[in-house]
Amino acid sequence: MANTNYFIERTIQAFLTLICVFALTFALLRLMPGGPMAYLQARLSQSNQDMSQEQINNMVELYSSVHPSKPIHIAFFDYTTSLLTGDFGRSIWYNQDVIDILAKAMPWTIFVSAVSLFGTFTIGITLGAVMAYGEGSRFDIGSSTVAIIVTSVPFYVVAVLLLWILGYNTGIFPTGGRVNSSIDPGMNLAFIGSVLYHGALPISALVIAGFGARALSMRGNSIQILGNDYLRVARLRGLSERRIALRYVGRNAILPMYTSIMIAIGSLFGGSIILEEIFLYPGLGYYVFQSLGARDYPLLMGGFLFITIATILGIYIADLTYGLIDPRAGGDDREAF
Amino acid sequence: MNAVDHSTTDLNSSTDTILEIRNASVTFDMDRGQSRVLDNVNMDIEREEILGVVGESGSGKSMFASALLDAVVDPGVLTGEITYYPERGQPIDLLDLSPKELKKVRWEEISMVFQGAMSSWNPTLSIKGHFEETLDAHNANFSEGMDRARELLADLYMDPERVLNSYPHELSGGMKQRALIALSMVLEPQVLVMDEPTAALDLLMQRSILKLLREVQEKYEVAMVFITHDLPLVAELAERIAVMYAFEFVEVSTIDDIIRNAAHPYTRALLNATPNLDVHVDEMRPIEGSSPDPVHTPEGCSYHPRCPLADDECVSEDPGYHAVTAGHDVACFHWEQSREAIPYTLPFQDDSTEANQ
Repeated sequence: MANTNYFIERTIQAFLTLICVFALTFALLRLMPGGPMAYLQARLSQSNQDMSQEQINNMVELYSSVHPSKPIHIAFFDYTTSLLTGDFGRSIWYNQDVIDILAKAMPWTIFVSAVSLFGTFTIGITLGAVMAYGEGSRFDIGSSTVAIIVTSVPFYVVAVLLLWILGYNTGIFPTGGRVNSSIDPGMNLAFIGSVLYHGALPISALVIAGFGARALSMRGNSIQILGNDYLRVARLRGLSERRIALRYVGRNAILPMYTSIMIAIGSLFGGSIILEEIFLYPGLGYYVFQSLGARDYPLLMGGFLFITIATILGIYIADLTYGLIDPRAGGDDREAF
Repeated sequence: MNAVDHSTTDLNSSTDTILEIRNASVTFDMDRGQSRVLDNVNMDIEREEILGVVGESGSGKSMFASALLDAVVDPGVLTGEITYYPERGQPIDLLDLSPKELKKVRWEEISMVFQGAMSSWNPTLSIKGHFEETLDAHNANFSEGMDRARELLADLYMDPERVLNSYPHELSGGMKQRALIALSMVLEPQVLVMDEPTAALDLLMQRSILKLLREVQEKYEVAMVFITHDLPLVAELAERIAVMYAFEFVEVSTIDDIIRNAAHPYTRALLNATPNLDVHVDEMRPIEGSSPDPVHTPEGCSYHPRCPLADDECVSEDPGYHAVTAGHDVACFHWEQSREAIPYTLPFQDDSTEANQ
């Protein structure tokens, strides 16, 4: 069946992309002048004066999964096999396995990204739909202006402003951390409350900077749908306004935005590098930023690969599920007459 | 089928009228003045008849169609009286109804097929979904309704299950149009208004849809109003023709009378302008001038700027209707002279005689 073919094709594509990114990451690691390999070697020989070159090379291999003296194709093979066994190397700065650090940080970044993505699209889609229904009204013009302004402001500027006003100046929200460490982790109210309290500012920053663009594209899509003949036919057929708004305008206007929602997952993970550094929020992005400053290349590489995998996965899921929500893209297994 | 039986002796008297339109006007307020796109129109539609409405682009045909369902789009304002006579019960004036009552009349009593079948379907909803939500919105019996939908689709020569389970993009233009006719008939309306239902289709599909419409009309005993710019096309289907010019009807008659004995200079000119394989291209005459502006419709007879018979009377006074024969009305002072002044050769002679036997 054609759908299965499409599935296989798309899966292979996703893996190829992943392999390309691995290869590029590896090449960077290996070929950067004064790159991580040389840096690791230099640091180890500096701190351990009495180590032999061979011992240093072994240490480097332990940290980065790559032995400096091996030829590039062998080294690539070693690197890939250790990645596939889940060995991302060892962090120099934290002296922990990279995979452990990232696995602990990941849920927090996913939490912030998911909630802000949900908030951005809920507010954006609702506002956009209301603006479209009242096209040309004062509400529409006012909201459009606000949406354009907030869209033009980068999220990190919003983040710094929020932190400055609500964090440092008024002290309403914490200026760092992801949870109050004195509370026992678990599914209790105090812990969840603390998580939300600490996550409020980073999430707000993303939502405030993000909803405008979504509202504007929803508005545009809806206005286009509202002008369609099938809406007039639907009204004459006596369908309720509610059904028309949801099943006719809503669904057809949101569909083109679906793919961009999925791609936004990837960009959110990328954006978390700056966001989590501003809010000192120890998620994936925070560690990537720290490793950048500390020249902790194994950790940096691991974080980079995590972000890549998240992006590829997001687009992969979007591609595979689009056919389920839009019958027109349902692959070619359906018969047309 | 005898067309004359259905005709009325006069516009204002009725035999078995189902829809009575009196002084219907549609106006739009524009920056440069009031635009009147339907101008005091009167018409009686008989039970189970097929009325063809013919006119050029921008003559108010679509407005007339929308008015029959009180569905003129905002900011257009419809005034006048549109009275629907149900088989049993009191006559209903459409313009007096509350939105809820109007919702019930539309599609259950008076239904409509739109110009663009291609864009009349929600692209992300299956054909079945469209039927179901329509039945649902009118609280109709679900299984009976779906059975009727299947029967209608079968009557229109389609495989009901295949069509119902399809999405609009999976159907060809002709199938979409036929499915739309089935959708408009699913609540068993008494009147079916069709606004250029064959406009986007090829000639063969146009002909086959006409044939199907005639069959459907006979089986379901529905009155049809078929609106088109294509006079030869509607001549094959309709029993009575109303010619529209400048937002009002200029001539109403049976199909035979219109084709053999057109009285209005505009109708005659329109017949002359109809492309026809039998007539040499030099004998085809376009109508000089252009159609009037809805903001400044000419005083008197609206056709006078383009009419070869126009005189001072036409410029200053509205002609009103003159009866040529019983059931043949024309809005022209000089209809008696038009025959000599504007000769025309009969287009589609064979077709029309055959169609009306």
